[in-house]
Amino acid sequence: MLPSSRCALVAFLVAAAVLPAVAFQASDAASAPPVPAHRTLEDYRHFRVATIDLLGRMPTRDEIATFERADFDMGRWIDAHTSGPAFAERLTRIYMDLLRLEPNVNFASAPSQLYRHDVLGPDGKPVPVYFRQNQRRERPETDGEFCFSPDEAGVVVTIGRPDVGTPKKIPQKVLDARTVLVKPWWLYRDYKTPNPTQRLGTDAWPNADPQFKPVDAIVKDAEGKPLTEVRVCREEAATRETGHVYASGRMPPKPAPKEVKPPKPSEPLHYAGGRMRPPPVDRPYATRHPGEEVSCSSKLGLDYAPDCGCGTGLERCLPSNRSDNGGTAFDFPNHMPLGADMPLDDAPQQAQRWFPYWWSREAVRFLDDLFLEDRDFRQILTGKQTFVNGPLAQFYAHIQRGNCCGPEAGFGMLEESDPLFDPRAVPADLEPQDVSTWKEVADRGPHASGILTMPMFLEKYASARARGAVLYNAFLCKSFVAEQQQLTPSTESNLMVRPGCKTCHATLEPLAAYFARVEPGNFVFLPQDRFPAHSTTCRLDRNGKLNGNCNALYDAAFSDAKGATLRSAYGSMEHADETPAGAGKDITAMPEFAQCAVQRVTSSFLGRQTTPDDYALLASLTDTFVRSGFHTRALVRALMRSDAYRSTNNLASTTWRGGGP
Amino acid sequence: MRRTIATAALGALALSACAGAPPERVSPGPKTPMPAHGVLAEDTAPKEDLRMVPPEAYVRTYLALFGALAPVDVQKRARAADGSQLFDVWDDYVSALGFPDYRVDVPRLGQTNALMVATFERLGVALCDRAVEHDLKAHPPISERAIFAFDPPRGPVDAAAFAPRFDVLHRTFLGYPASLAPPHRAARYLQLFHDVAADHRKDDPRSRFTADEAAWAAVCYGLVRHPEFHLY
Repeated sequence: MLPSSRCALVAFLVAAAVLPAVAFQASDAASAPPVPAHRTLEDYRHFRVATIDLLGRMPTRDEIATFERADFDMGRWIDAHTSGPAFAERLTRIYMDLLRLEPNVNFASAPSQLYRHDVLGPDGKPVPVYFRQNQRRERPETDGEFCFSPDEAGVVVTIGRPDVGTPKKIPQKVLDARTVLVKPWWLYRDYKTPNPTQRLGTDAWPNADPQFKPVDAIVKDAEGKPLTEVRVCREEAATRETGHVYASGRMPPKPAPKEVKPPKPSEPLHYAGGRMRPPPVDRPYATRHPGEEVSCSSKLGLDYAPDCGCGTGLERCLPSNRSDNGGTAFDFPNHMPLGADMPLDDAPQQAQRWFPYWWSREAVRFLDDLFLEDRDFRQILTGKQTFVNGPLAQFYAHIQRGNCCGPEAGFGMLEESDPLFDPRAVPADLEPQDVSTWKEVADRGPHASGILTMPMFLEKYASARARGAVLYNAFLCKSFVAEQQQLTPSTESNLMVRPGCKTCHATLEPLAAYFARVEPGNFVFLPQDRFPAHSTTCRLDRNGKLNGNCNALYDAAFSDAKGATLRSAYGSMEHADETPAGAGKDITAMPEFAQCAVQRVTSSFLGRQTTPDDYALLASLTDTFVRSGFHTRALVRALMRSDAYRSTNNLASTTWRGGGP
Repeated sequence: MRRTIATAALGALALSACAGAPPERVSPGPKTPMPAHGVLAEDTAPKEDLRMVPPEAYVRTYLALFGALAPVDVQKRARAADGSQLFDVWDDYVSALGFPDYRVDVPRLGQTNALMVATFERLGVALCDRAVEHDLKAHPPISERAIFAFDPPRGPVDAAAFAPRFDVLHRTFLGYPASLAPPHRAARYLQLFHDVAADHRKDDPRSRFTADEAAWAAVCYGLVRHPEFHLY
């Protein structure tokens, strides 16, 4: 919910609580005020139901007093209250209940995650050092590892595992050679300037966002004193935008002949600098493209370029207070069912939950705006717009780019060429610390399509089938119900024709195909020019297999010696090329879309499933909804004026009021 | 034998009678509609039981009754430091109140259960006790009292003195005047008031509330846990 709107709601609640009219002056009264002749118990009940639905809480005494006035007009009251933040929240809740767009996943993009490890300084005191996993370094002793070799630090440092060895003091000269001091973005508002001075918690950074709460461990030293700089491995501290592919000259060892059994080592193997595993060998891409320029925002930069780091003020990276995946970075709520502005708690959270948390807020904000501004409801699946705050701006500008490219690099896509959220659309005036400042992005890019292309949706529903299924259920009000059939073993790969499967998959597979161009479990977009739905580059080999990167992105079950089909595209090649935006367009054009939206809203407001007896009501509301241009405000106003709404839940209202306390 | 013959003769006679009857004809009915003998309205509206107030609305109402504070501030004030352990933390109540947990796909609860009812009770007691402390013990202006927006009567609490004050509480929690409630409700609550007040006049155990304060708190408990408060 929008902060300003939320504040307005809170202010309204406060006002309602303290208005003099709230307090009935019983001290002087001989009896309770008489009930107005024109008000029945059912009237009061109707008003209470409407208040709960539109204001999100029960009516105050003041509101009841207003309701009792002779000139109170219920229709006008409904019109006045189908527009505020509580109204938007009421409708958002319907779709959040359906889609459950909150993260049950952590997100750690290797190029963006900084871990912290404490080494012993020259004086024997712990010195925290930030580093990335698998960072390329030119020294073979530390290439792909922590920037201090085991011989230097005394311990072998491995992410997620206890240290092996006994720490030893590191001389200042070595400390300075391997690391640099950085003024990072989580400590300085002006981290982009050459000499940042506006430190968090000082007068130099007035009006810091109160919701931006780094955990103590990343803003204070071991003695609790505020940090002014953090020590970072030299390679990670690099600020350049592009780096260069590094070829070390180390080649993979030739496999020993099968008949020769390798000798069993009598003691653990150690490599240069005391490292426990051999330094990485050159991958084929490095040997073919030595010195080639690569973007430091891409995964390629981490994998191949020692001169790629976290950027200015470490803005391309997220800190953590430990050297495992359980480290924390910021305080934010676990539970906020009343909205982000009214959290029920506040606790240090895993660093890897930071961005998923904001993805969820983005989805909620998008939905809130849809209903608050009474936009065309079809935009839920087709809208180009969204809202971002500082962390999301940082994510879309830098972090998401590090999520690409793995197998895609084999097809020549070294950096994501057509991201679902174009980084150029990110507002330039948002800093990572601006967690409470939200700005609208009118157009995320050509492939953007409502919630369908948001990271939260794509991560929550990780596979193409899951994405198709939730669309079918949430927006067409249909379910997949398997037929009664004895299943028999089958080698048929096409589930649209396989007996026992086709009942559902004949519909599901074409829906899933819309998402064939979004990598499963990710949000990397696979453009048509590099990844045709039917590729003639990828083909089955003599053993009937797809090789290398083809196997990761193309489906061997729908390939032959002449070509291969993009994964999830076999249900409909046309849908695959239409992308999620095509799904949004096609589904919102179906008559069932409007009917389903009306059914969802009606069912929620009536508090029960709709039945065939509600057919006339639903038909009338659908007509109103479509004629209004798919505006939910018109729908809700018509619904709340209906007799069905007034008399809903009518069974017990006359039975249990007959007695009881 | 004689009986058998008689039976056979009767059967033959019946058969011959049927064979001789003219074929039955069904004549068409009247062309005008059948005259109405009465009109009964058929109620085809779906009949449904009352539903639970959404937990979001419950908590917002709770916060408003607590003085329109933010949830974490309510938690702080409800817990206080008096050792009464009236309130734990919101996190302990979130799932019990029926909130969905989207992260792990737990849907919102549509029906009460024992744990939920116990949570309603615990939260209700915390609300009423802190309201007694704020409204009745501290005596702020009536306009600043979210729940007990009245001054307790100076003398004995009889039905006449109880009724308007009960009406304030009834409107606060249940949203309509007490006079529209079932006829014996006010009397029952007055009896509750007297019972609790009498119990609290004993020396042991000592209560931090006066007898009347405890009685008003008990009336508040009854309303904040009333089914009509939790259903709509």
